[in-house]
Amino acid sequence: MKSSYLLAYSCKKWGWVLLIFGAVLGLVVLNLDWEPDVFNLVVPVIIDNPVMADLVIFRMQEQNLLDEMLGGLVIVGSMMVAFSKEKVEDEYIAKIRLDSLAWAVYFNQGLLFLSLFFVYGMSFLWVMIFNLFTLTWFFIARFNWLKAKMNKSRRDEE
Amino acid sequence: MKNSLKVERAKHNLTQAELAELIKVTRQTINAMELGKYVPSTVLSLRLAAIFQVPVEQLFQLEETDWS
Repeated sequence: MKSSYLLAYSCKKWGWVLLIFGAVLGLVVLNLDWEPDVFNLVVPVIIDNPVMADLVIFRMQEQNLLDEMLGGLVIVGSMMVAFSKEKVEDEYIAKIRLDSLAWAVYFNQGLLFLSLFFVYGMSFLWVMIFNLFTLTWFFIARFNWLKAKMNKSRRDEE
Repeated sequence: MKNSLKVERAKHNLTQAELAELIKVTRQTINAMELGKYVPSTVLSLRLAAIFQVPVEQLFQLEETDWS
């Protein structure tokens, strides 16, 4: 079964490493509001809308990039976990993958819909920040749960 | 859709794992097809028919509900 959008099977374990490292360190950095100077870098900013200052469009400016880098690791790691081939790739696993993706979109958007009505203020900002990553995470959870269920399915007489 | 995969497999004295290896899928896929949880593609159906050396219609049969 050839799928043009899948990465090599070996990418999966490296994806988990990046995802776990980025997520754990990211949560620590967010909680401590940690911004070490070594990560202060000048970057081309497309748009910045600071509180109590003018809107900035297309400018080189210094930013602390630690949380961006960790967020990037989580995105890349999640995608590597989500879209790496299985050891044996066949059409049934491809179907389960696509079904899980559809399920994850429904679930993610459902939660987002509920959050729109029931979460307000800064808490909603946190919902949006987490929502940057959750679609892939829900997909990974659903896909792996279905795979585990499939593996547990009754073994036939050998 | 009904299928007689399990019967054909028994006739050929193959385990799910052995059949899986022959048609290049996982054992779970064979299991899902035998339980009627998964309807295989035309290519996979033809591969199964080739392994068992029977016409594909002998392996898979339409049911009344397949017309609705």
